[in-house]
Amino acid sequence: MVEKAPFLSCKCIDNMAENRPTPEEIFNLLQRAKSRERSLFVSPVDTEAAMRYGAFVGSVIESHSTLPRAMDHARHLINKTVQAGSSVASGTVILADTMTRSKGRFARAWHAPAGGIWGCLIHANTLLPQSRRFISLATGLSCCEAVREIGLEKALLRWVNDVLFEGRKLAGFLVESFTEPVHGEEFTLVGFGINANNGLFPAELNASSISLGQILAREIDLCTFTALFLSRLAWNFGLLYHEEAKELRGEGFSGRGGQHLLLERWLACSDTVGKRVVYGFDVMTAPQYRADVLGIDADGGLILRLAGGHEKTEYSGEIRYLEPPLLPLP
Amino acid sequence: MSNEIDFDELLSKYKSDPFDYVDVFAVHTGRVSFKVVEGEEVNAASGEWLQVPGTRLYEINRERNPKIIAAQTNGTVAKIYTEFDGQFVEAGEKLMTIKHPLKKKEIIENILKEVLLLFPAPETAKYFFAMDIQSRIEKKGARAVTIEPGEEILTMSLMKRDTPVYYQGQRGVIHSIYFKQGISVARGEPLLGICAPEKLTLIQKIITRVKADWDTDH
Repeated sequence: MVEKAPFLSCKCIDNMAENRPTPEEIFNLLQRAKSRERSLFVSPVDTEAAMRYGAFVGSVIESHSTLPRAMDHARHLINKTVQAGSSVASGTVILADTMTRSKGRFARAWHAPAGGIWGCLIHANTLLPQSRRFISLATGLSCCEAVREIGLEKALLRWVNDVLFEGRKLAGFLVESFTEPVHGEEFTLVGFGINANNGLFPAELNASSISLGQILAREIDLCTFTALFLSRLAWNFGLLYHEEAKELRGEGFSGRGGQHLLLERWLACSDTVGKRVVYGFDVMTAPQYRADVLGIDADGGLILRLAGGHEKTEYSGEIRYLEPPLLPLP
Repeated sequence: MSNEIDFDELLSKYKSDPFDYVDVFAVHTGRVSFKVVEGEEVNAASGEWLQVPGTRLYEINRERNPKIIAAQTNGTVAKIYTEFDGQFVEAGEKLMTIKHPLKKKEIIENILKEVLLLFPAPETAKYFFAMDIQSRIEKKGARAVTIEPGEEILTMSLMKRDTPVYYQGQRGVIHSIYFKQGISVARGEPLLGICAPEKLTLIQKIITRVKADWDTDH
């Protein structure tokens, strides 16, 4: 049976834009993901439902050759649309070949030259708070799965959602909420930065960053990889809704032992558990303490053992791995 | 916020009974088993990162998932509802009361909390000031920073998802900051104490008076 694509729209704002995947490509890849899941001997997923839930991601795509900042553009687009008496399509993706004023969390600079995959997904927030907390994990997982799918099986996730390859950062994400001023509708903006064909990094990031092009020793097709990443994002957002619906029906989550399926899949792609880390709310400028990672709790929190043997679970902040592991913490 | 504060009455109240009475409730439904007895001293979580858990107060078991609830405050168990020991309780059932001795600083904060507009945490999360507010605080100090209704003042961070927090309340200056960057704040706990600019003198008067009238730090 050939499934019909839902309403899809591609707005190429700038004909010079290089990264111009189409919603159809994303939809087709999403269908492929569904078929693969369905072919598993025992899949706990209602694949039709997961696909239906996630298909909104990438249903509208705006491609720009350059933008100051994709997140700012998303906020502007939401405001402009709502002031015109309409509502922005949930799942709209904004892409830019380069960004001139991009930034990371806090006041960190973010370098977004040509060759990378830079952009933002607009998600009208219809998830319950207990599902919303998995959005950051879903975003990193989607990228890690896409990277593995092109053959880089050694890509790993570092809590919360950094994608690393042999210890160097391939991609970073920024998840922010935004409430539009007319009706108070809340959106989640998922900013993504994936080092694809860009190979030059600022001196301070040179040792800790890497791109797909550098690893593969060849350029990748930006549109193809972006479509693959967005299709994984669609699938994983679909899983968030799928798991939420199952839980609300009183059936529990689909993972082993009743674990949230997204968390189970995140854990399968991560090497964080067992690592010795330095933790900080803003770990780059204000590292707080060293600890061993004991596990990830049911809400995605990081269970840590500090010096003295005391355990603490963190639900925000970030970590850096300490390599090589030292002697056991006193 | 009133200009009329009866300092003598307030101070005599705290002098005659310099304690807070902190009620402890069931965090969810389940079977309760107490770990303390009446009169026992309890301690709050401690350590630089609050990594040392407080005294174990009770265990609550729901569907074979036992959870230990630890003390969030120092003090003595003043009252314990022993009739619930071993029983199934509803979420929110009052289980015990802890008598917490107040320090001078806490008395000042308690009085100020009665006269300041408190801005509570919308969710249990970590908070930091919005960049514009942070830069104004760094330049002039918090008490010189006036915030307006609808202004983005904080960012709430939970699982690396940042949500702007907008101030809802009357225009005022940031008098008290109750959170620390990197330390989690429970939902409903105050984040900021806001004061109308013209009331700053009154607030200062309260602080001076308590400091002068209170003999010791404890």
